[in-house]
Amino acid sequence: MSPDGLSHQEKIMRKALAAVAAASLLAACSSGTDSHSGSSGDNQTLTIASIDQGSIEKVVDAFKAANPGVTVNLTTSGADQYQQQIRTQLSSGTAPDVMTVWPGNGNPGATYVLAKPGYLLDLSDQPWAAKLPDAFQKVAQYEGKTYNAVFGLNGIGAVYNDQAMTEAGLTAPGTWTDLLAFCKAAAGKGTPAFALGIQDNWVTQIALYALVATTVYSGDRDFDTRMAAGQATFAGSQWTTAMAKYQEMDAAGCFQKDPLGTGYEASQTLAATGKTLGIIQGNWIIGLLKQKNPSGTFTMKALPATDDTASFIMPAAAGAGYGVNAKAENRELALEFITFVMSPAGMKTFNEAQGSLPTLPGAGTTVDPGLAELTTFVEGNRTVPFMDQLWPNAKVQQTMLSGLQEVFSDQTGADQVLKDMDTDYKAGS
Amino acid sequence: MKRFSAPRAHAAPPWWFTAPAMLLFAFVVLIPSARGVYYAFTDWDGLDPDFAFIGLDNFTAMADDPDALQAIWHTLLIAVAITVLQNGLGLLLALGVNTAIKSRNLLRVLLFAPAVVAQIVTAYLWRNLLGPDGAVNSLLAGLGLDSWQQNWLGDPDLALWMIVLVVVWQYAGYSMVIFIAGLQSIPKEFHEAAAIDGTGPVRRFWSVTRPLLAPALTINVMLSVIGGLKLFDQVYGMTGGGPGHATDTISTLIYKDAFTLGEFGYSIALAAVLTVIVAAISASQYTVLNRNEKAAS
Repeated sequence: MSPDGLSHQEKIMRKALAAVAAASLLAACSSGTDSHSGSSGDNQTLTIASIDQGSIEKVVDAFKAANPGVTVNLTTSGADQYQQQIRTQLSSGTAPDVMTVWPGNGNPGATYVLAKPGYLLDLSDQPWAAKLPDAFQKVAQYEGKTYNAVFGLNGIGAVYNDQAMTEAGLTAPGTWTDLLAFCKAAAGKGTPAFALGIQDNWVTQIALYALVATTVYSGDRDFDTRMAAGQATFAGSQWTTAMAKYQEMDAAGCFQKDPLGTGYEASQTLAATGKTLGIIQGNWIIGLLKQKNPSGTFTMKALPATDDTASFIMPAAAGAGYGVNAKAENRELALEFITFVMSPAGMKTFNEAQGSLPTLPGAGTTVDPGLAELTTFVEGNRTVPFMDQLWPNAKVQQTMLSGLQEVFSDQTGADQVLKDMDTDYKAGS
Repeated sequence: MKRFSAPRAHAAPPWWFTAPAMLLFAFVVLIPSARGVYYAFTDWDGLDPDFAFIGLDNFTAMADDPDALQAIWHTLLIAVAITVLQNGLGLLLALGVNTAIKSRNLLRVLLFAPAVVAQIVTAYLWRNLLGPDGAVNSLLAGLGLDSWQQNWLGDPDLALWMIVLVVVWQYAGYSMVIFIAGLQSIPKEFHEAAAIDGTGPVRRFWSVTRPLLAPALTINVMLSVIGGLKLFDQVYGMTGGGPGHATDTISTLIYKDAFTLGEFGYSIALAAVLTVIVAAISASQYTVLNRNEKAAS
């Protein structure tokens, strides 16, 4: 096994140990009724729980440097584990002061879901809240109050490993026809086009969103409104085309072998080390790929879903931000951290480490050159929010995620998955 | 003649001697569990303090939920497979290392070692080993058996059995230890007497060892059935219940419904059903094995 593989295993082991430790901690905490943790009375300790983005660490370091004497207890975990953990912590009164919160609705850690029962602190009076552009306010607010400090704009597309592309003598495909030819050529050279790690089920949606953006929204920008009004369905829309194209890509050899046996982490290694030519992911992947291959450069392009390049749309939306626990032990320090994240210096650090675009003007972020195309699409208003952000409940997305795994393992058909999603969508909030 | 009391040595201790332990058990286990079951009859989402009593709706919904029915089937399948394989292998290992072979103490330690590792750690370890480019496929390629390579955890027809094998790998040594204890409690004289009567090793196993091993078998089967029915860590770590729902067990479904979908009421209803299944199977199994044990002794 390669030295890289070994360190990957070590990381997994470390994470596993951390998970075990966290689980026993949870068990210890949840048994009490009104337990007061021992750290109160100390105004210099801040607890943060975050999804693992490979970027929060740098922001925490910068925050600590700007606030000498402050201790930050940071825990990070993958998105699906995080969403499960944070709910347990909130309902048992053991949640950290600051936590990752997703914009809008539709996932178990989203703003609407956590703000509705009153778990998040109202941040409306923070100076940045009023300055957020409308598109972000819509998903950072619940019933007119701001709860989520969204600091970065994320997009989904095809991220290519520049060195691997040069070595293979191939260029990024510009149309759907090119894409299929590109996949065949790449597979022929023994380096498949894209790494796909759908053993972790949240990954299944990413490539689909990239296809849905163009196939569904280029001809129907009001699709979400029509869905909400009950005038459209997944099964009766261009979602069927997007599903078919996803499967066509698989059949054309666009992905490495056994995607269902490959996890998110393993897929990063494949793309970072040039065992595949790229990966279809969010722009946050660039930071993670660079951790695995510091000398590599990576370029994000829109994933072609048709042959009409002018119709291309990229999924782009406010990425996960941070909320403050309504019962934070250290509210003051929590607000200070949020203020830092939304300050030009904090936002710049975050954006640059994460490879995202700033949500407030004037952050001075140096955008990764690999994201030039995403910037163009954002500026040209050729983006749609991640589809789940406007869905009425978390079940639609979960049905899609496990349904896609079933499609990839021939346990069900794409049409059935879309019908099931319609059923869950109609069940409402 | 009137008997005033039984001899002291045979008197049963008064029932209230058990009171402290019973009270502790009630406060730590019974009362919290009973209070928890109440939520099975509500639509609590795990976050919102406002929830409604909905009667048996969660239980009737279960009967129409293909994921739940599939998870119950997987759970039973896993429990049976683990019980048979783990105890079969455990018994063979015990018989093997209970002989006079030289390295038997070292072998016992090595075979027992996986049982002391945390389940989640072995799950992640095997998830890596069984990956498309993992050690298992690499080993097969090295042996020239490329055609035997499989998508071990990504193939819905294989994934469940891989989980069973990993659990058996981890706990066969545990069953072995209990069987060894059982074997060592069989007096040597029985075997010697049987040998003098001219029995071969197979007959000696069947007529002497097997019946006297009944208590060890009862404990082992009980532990592996309960462990199999409650299986969570290995499934969650290796496949997360996937691909799709191909390896979901009742425990993983309870976890997902509660913490991912926020359907706490439904998930507690599932947990109540799991409890009833475990209790019913364990009780009937205990009765049967106990009867065999008595018949054998």
